[in-house]
Amino acid sequence: MSEQMPGLPGPRPDPATEGYWLAAGRGELVIQRCTACGVHRHPPTQVCYSCGALDWEWARHSGDGTVYSYTWVERPIHPGLAALGAYNTTVVELDDTDGVVRILARVTDVARADLVIGLPVEVHFDPVGDGIALPVFRPRRTGA
Amino acid sequence: MIDLRNQAAVVGFGYVPFGKRGQYAEKGHLRLVVEAVAAACADAGITPADVDGYSSYYTPIDPPELFEAFGAKQLRYTAQTWGGGGSSMCGAFQNAAMAVATGAADYVVVHKVMTMEAGARYGQAFGQMGQGVPSIGGPFQYSVPYGLQAPGQMFALAARRHMHLYGTTTEQFAHVTMHARAMAANNPEARFRTPITVEDHHASQMIADPLRLFDFCMETDYGCAVVITSAERARDCPHPPAYIASAAVGAPFRYGNALMSFYNQPDEDFASSGQRAVAGEVYRMARMGLADMDVAMVYDHFTPMVITSLEDFGFCAKGEGGPYVADGNLGLDGPLPVNPHGGNLAEAYTHGMTHVNEAVRQIRGTAINQVPGATNVLVVGGAGPSPTSGMILTGSPE
Repeated sequence: MSEQMPGLPGPRPDPATEGYWLAAGRGELVIQRCTACGVHRHPPTQVCYSCGALDWEWARHSGDGTVYSYTWVERPIHPGLAALGAYNTTVVELDDTDGVVRILARVTDVARADLVIGLPVEVHFDPVGDGIALPVFRPRRTGA
Repeated sequence: MIDLRNQAAVVGFGYVPFGKRGQYAEKGHLRLVVEAVAAACADAGITPADVDGYSSYYTPIDPPELFEAFGAKQLRYTAQTWGGGGSSMCGAFQNAAMAVATGAADYVVVHKVMTMEAGARYGQAFGQMGQGVPSIGGPFQYSVPYGLQAPGQMFALAARRHMHLYGTTTEQFAHVTMHARAMAANNPEARFRTPITVEDHHASQMIADPLRLFDFCMETDYGCAVVITSAERARDCPHPPAYIASAAVGAPFRYGNALMSFYNQPDEDFASSGQRAVAGEVYRMARMGLADMDVAMVYDHFTPMVITSLEDFGFCAKGEGGPYVADGNLGLDGPLPVNPHGGNLAEAYTHGMTHVNEAVRQIRGTAINQVPGATNVLVVGGAGPSPTSGMILTGSPE
């Protein structure tokens, strides 16, 4: 269960996804990369959409990206979230990938008025137990 | 290649009165479907025991259960298409048309039903997957743990991107609901008949910014059924047939689980209904274009998705859907009237079935807000979850 969002279930890793979640637990963002053509893809799957190859590896990523779209949820589905007030779910487009890679996540440490499309963000991690964590983002401190 | 165009027709429709969320919970799904199928068959001039095929999308009642319930002598065809909610609804008609055109079955029923148990909500469809459990697997492991748990939240992401790219406004969203209420005002079966203003829309509760309560359709308890048969048999039915000029499902490149758990589609498709590909198929198969349509039924679960559907089906250029709806183009005196029954937003939310009912009424000439001489009707399935779908019904199979 997320430390930041109590009440929400955490991810349940499977053989295709556990590398992603375990890396996040170590403080690293990794993205699936086709070993044949080098294209990145996310969420993880079993075949390269670009070349059809089945083999893949985890590639470390800087975690830098920009906000692509977002919503502020004012009426949450899960009753446990009501006390938090409005929260955002945000699509982040990662920098420097071969092929488009967008991740659904959350931007932390941001005022509502400051969350805009195009905002440069950097990854950090929200532990959810069992050695895994959720990649989340915050406004980039090191400059774009 | 066999040409499916106008080889099948909708010859009957039936439904139970629309109810509030949970109103028919005690009646239950099977009873609601049975009543709807019986009414549809009466409209078609057949009995439910004549139905030898069932084609479905996203239904809690399996075809074998219905076949058995009605005591039909032989079940000859079953089919189901995928896609959440009513996104693939026209796919059920595509499958039905193929069945009766090839002789696999004589009369195929498409049905859809929903009653909510006490306390249950449509919007919790995804949240429930993650409630009362410590973890969630499958595709939703990448979305639910972040609190993305409902369709309205997912469509808010597409709506926000559309606003960013094209300058679309929430005032333009309001005009979609204002139109629906205006159309429903004289429809005695519609659930929301009170006209609203932009101010009313903006005063409604923000649910998932930029979407407010009045951007959402209403939860409805309902049962609907439609009978499809071959063009040859259709001519012997009591009412003028609504021929299926085309019906298709589909998705563009990398639009698989778009918005639900996948966000990598090309930019032009992210801020869209996902229907660009299927629109081309619908027009190609019918050998007609938008200019040939007399009236359109556009699935309206969320206001911005009407705007994107209009763009993808060519009502206006990409990005111009907002001004298009705000300029009054949806009305009965507009270039192509949309949802004269009030649609999902004002009449009832039936995952698309009432859009088919209204299309058939318009072709028969029996609609409350009748478009004079309506012959060709575009029906657009729900935007979003793949596959999306569309079809064209026509009263003139030439």
